Parts: sequence; structure tokens; C-alpha cells
Amino acid sequence: MLRFWWPTGVGCLTVVAVLLAGCGGEKDRGAAAARGEYQFLAWHDDGGVTLTTFEDKEAIRLTGDQLGTMFGKGKVPFAGKRIAILVLNSGPKGGISGPLYRLRPAWEELTGARLDIVEVPIAELLNKSITDLRLGGGQFDGFMQASWFMGEYATPGFIAPIDDYIKDKRFPRWDPAWMPPALRALYTWEGKWYGTLNDSDGQVLYWRHDILSDPEWHRRFKAETGTDMPFPVRTWQDVLDIAKFFNGKNWDANDAEPDTGIVMHFRVNEQGMFHFMSLSAPFVVIGGDKVTRGTNNYWFDPDTMEPLINQPGHVRALGMLYELSKCGPPAQSAWDLGTAWDWFLRGKSIFVFSWGDVGALVQDETRSKIKGKLGAAILPGSFDVYDMNKREWVKLETPNVVGNTVGGSWHGVISAKSKNPELVYSLYALMATEPVSLWNANNGWTGVDPGASIHFLPPDGTADLKGYLAAGWNESDLKLYLKAYHDNFFAKTMMPYLRINGAEEYWRALDQNLSATMVGTLKPQEALDRTAAEWAEITRRRGREAQLKQYQSAIGYKK
Amino acid sequence: MRRRGTIQLLFILPAVAWVLCFTLFPLVYSVRLSFYNARVGEPEQFVGLANYATFLHDRRAWESLGVTLVFVACGVTVQLVLGMALALLFHRPLPGRGVLRTLLTAPLFATPIAVGFLFRTIFYEEGGLANGLLGTRIPWLSDPRWALASVLLVDIWQWTPFCFLIFLAALQGIPEDYYEAARLETRSGWTLFRCITLPILMPTVILVLLLRLTEAFKVLDIPYTLTGGGPGTSTQVLSLYAYFVGLRNLNFGYASCVSVVMLILVTGMILVLFRRMRQVYQ
Repeated sequence: MLRFWWPTGVGCLTVVAVLLAGCGGEKDRGAAAARGEYQFLAWHDDGGVTLTTFEDKEAIRLTGDQLGTMFGKGKVPFAGKRIAILVLNSGPKGGISGPLYRLRPAWEELTGARLDIVEVPIAELLNKSITDLRLGGGQFDGFMQASWFMGEYATPGFIAPIDDYIKDKRFPRWDPAWMPPALRALYTWEGKWYGTLNDSDGQVLYWRHDILSDPEWHRRFKAETGTDMPFPVRTWQDVLDIAKFFNGKNWDANDAEPDTGIVMHFRVNEQGMFHFMSLSAPFVVIGGDKVTRGTNNYWFDPDTMEPLINQPGHVRALGMLYELSKCGPPAQSAWDLGTAWDWFLRGKSIFVFSWGDVGALVQDETRSKIKGKLGAAILPGSFDVYDMNKREWVKLETPNVVGNTVGGSWHGVISAKSKNPELVYSLYALMATEPVSLWNANNGWTGVDPGASIHFLPPDGTADLKGYLAAGWNESDLKLYLKAYHDNFFAKTMMPYLRINGAEEYWRALDQNLSATMVGTLKPQEALDRTAAEWAEITRRRGREAQLKQYQSAIGYKK
Repeated sequence: MRRRGTIQLLFILPAVAWVLCFTLFPLVYSVRLSFYNARVGEPEQFVGLANYATFLHDRRAWESLGVTLVFVACGVTVQLVLGMALALLFHRPLPGRGVLRTLLTAPLFATPIAVGFLFRTIFYEEGGLANGLLGTRIPWLSDPRWALASVLLVDIWQWTPFCFLIFLAALQGIPEDYYEAARLETRSGWTLFRCITLPILMPTVILVLLLRLTEAFKVLDIPYTLTGGGPGTSTQVLSLYAYFVGLRNLNFGYASCVSVVMLILVTGMILVLFRRMRQVYQ
């Protein structure tokens, strides 16, 4: 026994040494920066700085004016402080969380502070943050929130407004005027700003431009259907006609299997309901100068909180979605977002309608076989729209085209309990500066999709084509993609966003009934009637008056 | 004597503390919460039996209960029958019995969450392993009935080895003399099984049935990862429904009510089975 004591002892000491080496190994970039030692910043004589991103070591140049007056060579205004930001768990090179990792070292050198990035699955994000806020735990200084959290956060005063910080020249500079009104609405509540420019979500229509602009396919379409191919598409009926024609044919040379007309993602309790929202908008939303039951409205009666989800416009739209789904792979009823996108990227579908990530992923040739073949435009419209004021169908001479902001439009907000709100704001503001925001938009993997004027090419905006091309974008794909998103976010009529307490709960009820419709278990009217009944119960349980007041604030309704 | 009593108490104290903290307290608190309208950070509101009344009229809850009952009945039956068949097979001399037995029990040690994700790729309908090997186009996850069958298949794959192991151990405890004596009267394997093996094994069968019923009723991870409860709500078991209500909708009062209903149902089943077990022993 005794002869084994020394190897055992050495082994234990080794383990202890490794453990100790693992602890306290965090580099204090703030202390190094105070001594003028920089690894991720390069200062210029004009007061500007070049940030180097972590790992991929890309350079982002900011002028002194863009950086703000509190930062400078040798300055560490927040030395010794530490903040924690809660974000969804996409990892160091994933959407939304990735940019935080990439910029952390540079920001730590700028501020002298430390940043803890706490990742949580998207399904737990609201739960974890609300628990911390309601119980006063103060674990997190900030949250990268989805826009639908806003009502839950802002109404009880859980997050801090940032209007004063935006005007403060000490902080990195960004301009809210870069953002279209539809996106500004998501980052504000009752006229106050809470979020800084980050992600801009909305769905647009993507297609295989090489196929749909091929005269041979136009000839074959006419021979088979007797009509000209309705391309460019203007309505969802056009999309359906084209999708039906191409479905089941092997129109793509990548494999010998038949391809599909469209692909969508309907896996339940995930993001299928966004397809319905964006498709149904032109059947439901009528524009106007103000918000009423039937104008600039979609979800509830703004006077009574009666659910409107089962109105004839919504029902007809669900019928259209069901017909479209028959032009896609049957398996899509169980597909999540990534699987559906992959189908399109592999060249198996003519159409997909989804977020800006698709355009970026098309450029990644490790996944995409269709780089250089992408078409994109704002979602098509409808000649028929149901007027929820007059309670009748209206036939239009030109299609009712409605922009949308469905999705998260993920952005940072500051906890009202944070002891370091200025420090948190400095991080968000740095990410919102023009050079950093553009870097995010150029690099699709960041999950930060374009939506501000600084992201769009002239004449729609001020972005430089070179930045996108250097990040690997195909020029033709890029121009159609950016035009599509500009048209979407600056559309005359926008679908309003649901940002009230329980938004997720309302959407889950809708999603489960939609999923049942897609597999033929429920008819559209029945599905939406069930949804309306469930929504009424949710409203009753959460308190009708409180929900109504919040809804009126969320959509900007004034009696 | 007194000192010995104190020492004995000290030894059992950790176990008692564990049971009190992690079993009894959550149970009592959950039952209490079911009588409240409770959301995190908001004042609780006593509502009496309102949550239970809601359950009675909650279509989703009854749908989930129906799915659960089908899942439990089909899954546990197949696991018991298959487990017994495998145990009988492995109870006789078999070449490579040791290796095969090890391979057979491997699924038991896999994490259910990982198993769910693994089978998502296996059941991928456009080129996954299942359809590839079978040469079929079965809509494993996109058709409501096939989705439930898929969840059942995965659960059967994972838990049949549990039944197999326990039955095999029990079989090895039956004295060979009984079979030798019985073979004087009959050579029929079925008769030997029916008249000797099954009656002797009955307490074990009931125990395995009890254990599997209880666990199957609580299943959450496999439907959550494999199908998300869909398509529609065709694989949304009651546990999954309680999860959505409690941890996604943050409606802890009603989620506790659903959990208490589940507890009452499972307790009822256990009491019936215990009574049957007593009868068998007697």
C-alpha cells in the first residue's frame, strides 16, 4: 500500500495545480489598457480607434466622434466594474450572441470593465429574465431581448429608458433616425427609447432567380397552364400558381430527386406562426392615418380586446397558406427553421419566405448551392382585403402590399436594477455605431439583419458595396436582398407587432392550431375559431383591462 | 443506549432531510399552489378549486391526457411483452449471450434528450436512416399518427431493456426442479410458461408494470425533442402540457393543478396494482 502513496500524491497535486491554473486565469484587459497595453485596440492620432474582433481578427475603424468623448487612449472610465448580459444561446459564432463575444475584448479594453455573457435557450429567455426582474435578483444588468418581450419589461418599469444617453456625447454615437418608423416602434415604448440599433427582423420572399427568369421555363409554364408565368409575382396567388407548376419536377440540376415549389417550417411550438402572420397581413391590414379596429390593426379590437384572429381575412389567408404548403415537402410539417432553410439552400425549392438570415446563408458555399442565383422582394400582396371596420371584403385595383417586422429584432435593453446602466449602454451603443453595425450586417452569421439606412446601398441608404463584397456577398444577390428589405421596412402599410404580456402564450395557441391545419386535422375556420377562444381565455386570466391598456400602448391606439 | 440512539438518528438524518426537502416539501407546495393564481413576482391570489374547474373544461388538457393514456397503454404493453420475450430467449444457452446482453441494455444508459435528437435525424423523412434502410417514405414526424408511433418506438427502444433485465434476473431465480417435474407431464413450452413461469413471475411483472407505468406517465424529454408535441398536439403528453403552462406561460398555479391531477391518476393506478400484488402473494 505504502509504495503507492507517492504517485497518488503527485497525481492529486497535479489535479489541484491544474484546477488552480484554470481559476483566476481571466485576463484583466482593463488593467492592461490603463497601462497603455492594447491587444484589440489601435489608437489613431485623430482620436479614432480601430477595433479588432476576437478570433477572426477583423478590423473596424471608428472616428473619435463615433466613439464618444469618454473613451480614449489610456482612459478606462469603468475600471473595476463588471456586468452580465443575458442572451440567447447561439454561441460565440452564432446569431445575436456571436457579436458580443467578438467585440468583448475590445470593449473591455475601452472601458476597463468586464463583461459576462450568459447564454440561455430561446425558450427559457423570457422566463429567466422575468424571474430575475420580478424577484429583484439583479443577476443581469442587461438583456438581448426579442421585441415581443417589450410589454412585459417596459410596463412594470423593469427596464431603463435610454433617451438621455442617446443625446449624451460621452457615449458612442448612433442615430435613431437611421431606423424606419416600423423598427423604431419595436425599440420604443410609449414614446421612450429602450433599445439601441441592432437586429432588424422581417420576412421577405426569396426565389430561385435563375429558374424564374429562364425563358425556357416561361415557355413550359405557358404550355402546361395556358397562361403566362406571373413573374415578378405581385400576389400570393401568383406564388401559388408558380409553386404548383414547379412542385414535383426536377428543375434543379443538383440531384436526381424531384424538387418542390416552396418550403416552410411548421414544427409546432417553434416559429411556424410567423409564416402565417406575414402571409396574412395583406389580407387583413389596411393602412391609414390612424389606428382603428380595421386600419393598421391585426390582433385584437382596440376598444374591447376581442380577438380578431378568426376574421374572414385571417381565415382566407390560412386557406392560402394551406394550399401553398401542399406545394412543399410533406415533411415540412415537422421541420424547424434550420431544416427548412437547408432545403432551400440545397436548391430544392423555388420559393421560401423568411428572414434576412437566408440571404446571408445563401452566400455561404459550405451550405449553399445557390449563391448568385437568389431573387428577393417584399412579400406579395392581395387584391382582396377584409375591412374589419366595415366587416366586408374590399377589392382593390392594385395589390395591398404590407410590410412586416415579424421575428425578434433582437436588441439590448438595460435592467432598471443594474448598478451600472451607463456601462451597459456603452456596450450597446458601441454595437450600434455605424461601422460596427455595418460590420454586423455585412457578416450574415452575426444574425444582425439589415434594416437601417446605414445598411442599405444608395439611393436607399449610405452603405458601401465594397464592405458587403469583402464579406463574401454576391453582388446580384446582395442588391436584390437589400432592396427587398428596404421596401419591406419602409412600406407604406406595416403589420403591427404584438408586444403585450403573454405574447408568447397567444402565439403558441395560434401555432398549435396552425400546425393542426397544416396536417389536415383542422379546417382553417375551425383552427382560428379555436385560437380566438383560447386568446379570449388568456386575456381573461391575465386581466382584460390591463391587457387592453397595454395593447393600446403597443399599437399606438388613441380613442 | 441513549448515545447509540443519537448516533442512529444522526446517520438517518441526511436521508430524512433529503426526503423532506426534495420530495415532501415540493409536493406539499405544489398542491398548495394549485389552489392559487400564481405568477412569478406577482402576489398570489387564492382561487380555491377554480384551477380544477378550468381543467375540467380545458380541451387541451383532455387532449394531452388522451395522448398520454394511449402512449402509456401501448408503450408499456409492448415493453413488457418484448422484455419478457427477450428474457426468455436469453435465459437459455445462446452463443455470444454476454455481448448481446450488453448491447441490448445499451439504450438504457442513453440520455433521453440526446436520444430524441438522435432519432430526429434517423426519422428525417427526406433521406434519413429509417426510410433509407426500409426503402419507404413513411412520414415519421409529419403525420399525427406516425408521429405518435415514432415517439412510442423510441420509448420502447429505450425502456424495453429495463424490463428485460428485471425479468431475466427473476427467471434466473426460478428453481429448475419445477420445470423438471413439469416436463414429466408436458413438453409444451407454452404450458410451462403459463403454468409455472408466469405465476411465479407475477409479482415481478406487477412491479415492472408499476414502475414503467409511473415513468411512462411522466414522459417529457422524448416528445419534447422528437416532435415538440406535434404535429398539432398529436404527441403533446400531459407533462409537456404542464411544462408549457408552467414554464413558458408562467402560469404556475394551473401548472401545479395539472401536475396534481397527474399525481392523483398515477396514485390511483399504483393502488390498484398494489392490491393486485397483495392478492397474488396471498
